[in-house]
Amino acid sequence: MAKIARRTLLKSSAAAAALAGAPSLARAQAHSSAARSIRAVFHGDVPTYDPIWTTANMAAYHGGMVYDTLFGIDDKGEAKPQMVNRYGYDAGNMTWTFELRPGLKWHDGTDVTSADIVPSIRRWAARDGGGQHMMERVRGIEAKDEKTFTIQLKERYGLVLDVLSKTSTPVCFMMRKREAETDPMQKIETVVGSGPFTLNLTETRPGTQYVYDRNPNYVPRAEAPSGISGGKVVKVDRVTFVNMPDGQTAVAALQAGEIDFYEIPQPDFMPQLESDRNIRIQVLNQLGQVGLIRPNFLHPPFDNVKARQALLHCVKQSDHMRATFGTSQYAKDSPSYFAMGTPMSNDANTGWYTGGQNFARSRALLAEMGYRGEEVLLMQATNIPYMSNSAQLLAQELRQGGFNVRLVAMDWSNVVQRRSVKAPPAQGGWNLFITSAGGTAVGHPILLAAHAATGDRGWFGWPQDEKHEQLRAQWAVGETLAERQRIAREIQTNAWNFVPQVYYGQWIQPAAMRSNIRNMLPVAEIIPWWNVEKG
Amino acid sequence: MLAYIVRRIFLTLPVMILVAVIVFLLLHLSPGDPAAIMAGDNATADQIAAIRAKLGFDEPLWKQFALWCWSLVRGDLGNSLFWGDPVLVLIGQRAEPTISLALTTIAFAVTVAVTLGVVAAANPGTWIDRGVMGFAVLGFSLPVFVVGYMLIFLFAIDLKWLPVQGYTRLSEGVGPWLRNLVLPSLALGMAYVALIARITRTTMLEVLSEDYIRTGKAKGVAARPLLLRHALKNAAVPIVTVIGIGVALLIGGVVITETVFNIPGIGRLVVDAIARRDYPIVQGVIMIFAGIYVLVNLLVDLSYTLFDPRIRY
Repeated sequence: MAKIARRTLLKSSAAAAALAGAPSLARAQAHSSAARSIRAVFHGDVPTYDPIWTTANMAAYHGGMVYDTLFGIDDKGEAKPQMVNRYGYDAGNMTWTFELRPGLKWHDGTDVTSADIVPSIRRWAARDGGGQHMMERVRGIEAKDEKTFTIQLKERYGLVLDVLSKTSTPVCFMMRKREAETDPMQKIETVVGSGPFTLNLTETRPGTQYVYDRNPNYVPRAEAPSGISGGKVVKVDRVTFVNMPDGQTAVAALQAGEIDFYEIPQPDFMPQLESDRNIRIQVLNQLGQVGLIRPNFLHPPFDNVKARQALLHCVKQSDHMRATFGTSQYAKDSPSYFAMGTPMSNDANTGWYTGGQNFARSRALLAEMGYRGEEVLLMQATNIPYMSNSAQLLAQELRQGGFNVRLVAMDWSNVVQRRSVKAPPAQGGWNLFITSAGGTAVGHPILLAAHAATGDRGWFGWPQDEKHEQLRAQWAVGETLAERQRIAREIQTNAWNFVPQVYYGQWIQPAAMRSNIRNMLPVAEIIPWWNVEKG
Repeated sequence: MLAYIVRRIFLTLPVMILVAVIVFLLLHLSPGDPAAIMAGDNATADQIAAIRAKLGFDEPLWKQFALWCWSLVRGDLGNSLFWGDPVLVLIGQRAEPTISLALTTIAFAVTVAVTLGVVAAANPGTWIDRGVMGFAVLGFSLPVFVVGYMLIFLFAIDLKWLPVQGYTRLSEGVGPWLRNLVLPSLALGMAYVALIARITRTTMLEVLSEDYIRTGKAKGVAARPLLLRHALKNAAVPIVTVIGIGVALLIGGVVITETVFNIPGIGRLVVDAIARRDYPIVQGVIMIFAGIYVLVNLLVDLSYTLFDPRIRY
């Protein structure tokens, strides 16, 4: 029998131990990597890498990862410098000067300069309602030197910081000069930002998953994070946006630990998730969404203000909320023209609400206007549950209120196309459609395109009201919060008289996440992945 | 035989042209505007019109069709309206999961269904036969997504044996690849098993009543060789035909299965594209699926010669 030397035995044992240990070491490393990596599922797919070109929230979520903003709003809704170091304005508030903070780099390693910022603002403003509102009052935007740029105004304008810092889409993200000079109607193809994450194109699969790695060269601000302002300190190595269209699968994947975060679990799943000790529920967007019913001002009967007032008397918001959200604590009424919970929300001229749903009043108004039963074409987006539910309920309410309603079922894409048709309903047009908008935007008289009452030039439905526009213009130059709130009451008083739109409720959609996901920042419209820790 | 194959391939051309015309017209004449979807909720009519012009959708329909056909002839399926990436590249990225799902489903379904069908036919009127037929009715009646959710709940959430969703590439190992495919293949294969099992049983019952089977039994041929070597081979032509027809069923089921199990395949690609009216992707995928279906049917026709020597082309 061959003898084994003691030294050989020891060597072999050590080698065997090393070999045996290797897989566990590899497992430990893999585990460590997974521990610093987050897989998140949202309400949809990233439709494009260009967050300026579209208003889709998913594009803004992507934008928030790779791009940075000049200003960010804090948790009190106040604009704070982000890429900007210092700023100021002259005595008449007519020239604003901004200085970029040092150390800002694009992901390709080049410096962020004013030459990038100026076309970025211009391109964004061409696509954004708030940006357009500002640019109508801007004489010029100029780069003064590498780090300084100015915005010169034609007239006094109090919303410069509001629009530059807003989180409603499209957000004013800064891009390199070469991308920023792209035609605003054409989307950019190259993703080079200066934000806290970089898009990992090697592992990204459009339509499937989008991989964002921590940007090691990002220099966060020193302030504590608040809203989307302050230090964007990234505490994980990677965040992957997983496109998972089926809500039930997403909930199952979250419970099984295959994903870490699910943005909008449907209300029916909430009890199941709330009872799971591995899952935590958090409301990230406190203002949520406001449901909008949009009448078409161009055609009968809603070209007559009495018909629109009748519509206002028909809708019982709590019924609409119950139709989709049941008895959920996350849904409520919004009698204010500006979303509930925003600084501008108020109770002016809300008698139609406090008096309760009133079909008799609706029928009386229709009789006064001489309504002869003209058909009201209501578009129902059947592939979006809350819109579909509300459309069915609205049809019933309107019938009880004396309208002759035809509910036309279609998918949302079809609604989006048809709502832009100005022809009469019989020729491909429409009378009513249902949609929703973010509470932040609805709470702001300027930022929501649907708040404009500029007729043909405005948003679908094309409401027109001179007084409304005068009041919005006054609000934009309001000096103090109190002054703006006073004007907001006047806007609302007038709005609930001429009725540009009717609301069917306001709801928040809590996010569900694994209980080891901590320190998520509650922000409306964007989900920040900085400051978030796992473990 | 070769002449037959060439003739059949040429005969597919009019079919593909017809498919191209129908797909193009259906998409472009149906309501929905990609420019409006791209522009987003806050866009004005002018902005939508500008995007439509950029995409060339303001051109006459015949011109758009001609341009698309010319691209097709050159093997170019165009670029995604949303991503800008070539459709062929996007389909290529999504092909592996779909092919994997289809192949594992077919393998599972054919194996199980033919076995069940043969066993049922060999025991007509017994509880085994009734059990198999009952299972077949169930397989037809339960929608793919219901089976899918039930399987997820049992095997992924409750027992924690298999993952809920996702796909692992074959290059990362056969084990992980299969783990992700077990539940989707079972869910998708149910209807397919039901279909093939019923056809196998019926055809086998017919064949088993033939004179040559009785002769075989009289000569003392054992039951198993009689079933598998003599009866099954002669029953194969209708079974193979149904398997071929079932490919269309499979393609429809793939779309739902990929959504339920979050498999990043071609089915998901086309569903997302339809919702966004991303015409080049929808057109490209349908053309490829149509081509596959035509090809599978050709292969099925050719396979008849293997099972029945009397068939010659």
